Amino acid sequence: MTARERRVRILQLLQLMPILSVLVVLFGGALVMALLQSLGFAPWFGINTFPDLSYFGSLWGSRTFWVSLWLTLYYATVSTLLALVFGTTLALALIKVFPGKRLYKYLYKLPLMIPYTVGIALAVIMLGNGGMLSRVAAFAGMIDDPGQFPQLLKTHYGWGIIAVYVWKQTPFITLAVYAVLLGIGRETEEAAAILGARRGAIFFRVTLPQILPGIVSSTLICFAFNIGAFEAPFILGGGFPDTLPVVAWRYFNDADYTLQLQGMATVVSIGIVAGMILFAYLWVYRRYERRMGRH
Amino acid sequence: MTQVQLNSVRKQFGDFVAIENLDLYISSGELVALLGPSGCGKTTTLRMISGLERPSDGAILFDGRDVSEQSVQDRNVGMVFQRYALFPHMTVEKNVAFGPSVRGESRTEIARRLDEILEVVQLTPFRDRFPAQLSGGQMQRVAVARTLITKPSVLMMDEPLANLDTKLRLEMRRFIRDLQKRFGITTIFVTHDQIEAMELADRVAVIFDGRLAQFDTPERLYRCPRSLDVADFMGATNIYPGKLLSRSRVETALGEIDCPHQNDRSVGDSVHVLLRAEALDMNTGPSASEPPGLRGRIKTRDFFGASVMYRVVCNDREIDVTENARRMLEVGDDVWLQIAPEHVWLLSR
Ligand SMILES: Nc1ncnc2c1ncn2[C@@H]1O[C@H](COP(=O)(O)OP(=O)(O)OP(=O)(O)O)[C@@H](O)[C@H]1O
Ligand SMILES: [Mg+2]
Repeated sequence: MTARERRVRILQLLQLMPILSVLVVLFGGALVMALLQSLGFAPWFGINTFPDLSYFGSLWGSRTFWVSLWLTLYYATVSTLLALVFGTTLALALIKVFPGKRLYKYLYKLPLMIPYTVGIALAVIMLGNGGMLSRVAAFAGMIDDPGQFPQLLKTHYGWGIIAVYVWKQTPFITLAVYAVLLGIGRETEEAAAILGARRGAIFFRVTLPQILPGIVSSTLICFAFNIGAFEAPFILGGGFPDTLPVVAWRYFNDADYTLQLQGMATVVSIGIVAGMILFAYLWVYRRYERRMGRH
Repeated sequence: MTQVQLNSVRKQFGDFVAIENLDLYISSGELVALLGPSGCGKTTTLRMISGLERPSDGAILFDGRDVSEQSVQDRNVGMVFQRYALFPHMTVEKNVAFGPSVRGESRTEIARRLDEILEVVQLTPFRDRFPAQLSGGQMQRVAVARTLITKPSVLMMDEPLANLDTKLRLEMRRFIRDLQKRFGITTIFVTHDQIEAMELADRVAVIFDGRLAQFDTPERLYRCPRSLDVADFMGATNIYPGKLLSRSRVETALGEIDCPHQNDRSVGDSVHVLLRAEALDMNTGPSASEPPGLRGRIKTRDFFGASVMYRVVCNDREIDVTENARRMLEVGDDVWLQIAPEHVWLLSR
């Protein structure tokens, strides 16, 4: 490295300092602290058994942890997939011309601006026993009494949680995919139609590969959020065993503050699982991209 | 081989009429150019023939059969888009094989035809590249190959040469013409360059504002335009108002000029006289034989290499004269212009 190159390198590092320090303090620092605590380092509670794997041991050794992990992944995956299907369909519809399109383009974005908690309240009002849907069903004579309405909320099937996530995230995915669709234009689809491709072939062989970057980035964000989300599973979930973020919250909230370390182990576990899944997802996608000639 | 017919086709977008009453008859195996200024409806016409757009009125017939109700997929046409519209995520090979593959041809058949067509368009060495790794001319050849492999009955090309540099454009012109002769496919291509249209096409359809202005061979279009607009678009500059003195002589501000015998005009009719710049003979002295010609003086001279264009002032009017550059006259020289009657073209005024 010449002296000049070194100067340039140092200058670049200096310019990166502000953002680097934010990253280190906010994320790196918190992450390191969480990891240290989960390994038994918390002198402010009078605990210091570092390095101590017993918190992870007792967590991973219990069956309920795995049930919680399964529930967390199940809610996150199902709602991401549903939002993806709805969002993509909506985006495909939006590039067509239809009456009332302008109003609709405004309306579908509304859930993006409404907070999750409002969505959760809406789910309770709409889907709960004694909620709107059950009353409508009873009124229509499909059931005798609103109480007979099938239980949608507070079950481990998580219909309520999934409904809230899908309601909130469909517009987000629509927005991302719609932007990509506008960018690629209609011409390749038209060319495919002239070459003899029917609708299915056009979508799967021409459109989908081109919107995949938008799909991957938006689903990644939704999935990461869904794994870590707390309010919806807390309010609408089926109770014990809870999803991992709720489990962590219960530990943190316990009168026995030494359980905080157990909570930290839970948080770190969520981080590890989410990280592994997201990296695997990106790795598969990168391989696909490379096969498509993108570098 | 397919013969294509448009019967009073009309296309309206909302209140805007893009194509008005278009009649076009394209013979089987013919190479036809749609020529016109930007926004006149050329692309719209191609899109209606291909089925991407449905005419608001009128009918489109292939071999006398109405295809208006037929879907894009079933028309078996080929289209090369203005910006090629290659599939960016597929290699050259996959792009070209797309048509037969979605039509369910067998693998061996696809492979055979792929090799053949890549050879024709000289893209065999590039078969594993992606569109982003190709030059403009190569991308265009991929677009052509992708279309030809489906053996379309009508081939359409939307400004196929617009994005290419001059040298490549000449090369691709020859390539397209050879290809068309070789496969004998009825071909319709769009351009707004009248030189390109004349060089490539058997017949040229000139469209202004969604209306067909003239549909003729390049030669007739150039020599015998039916309207002032067409003459103007074909690059005519020497157009003068005049009056018929007899059925074969016309009076203009330049002087009196002999013209071909006018059967369907009468003496005294007002006309426009069109004198092609390259049909004028320029002498440095009055002609020895009668008549002496129009007298003028050279005002400017533009040198184009093979040819020279002079602007001559005759009776206070300017007239362009093009000669090949075997001699050079000087600005300010006195000249006498003559034109053979058969090169004079009259338009009604
Ligand atoms: N989908 C559409 N909606 C509304 N107007 C349209 C549509 N498509 C084309 N037009 C209009 O129709 C007219 C003809 O368009 P077209 O694309 O056929 O022109 P063109 O002759 O191909 O022009 P260019 O040489 O610039 O490509 C234009 O005025 C255009 O604005
Ligand atoms: Mg066009």
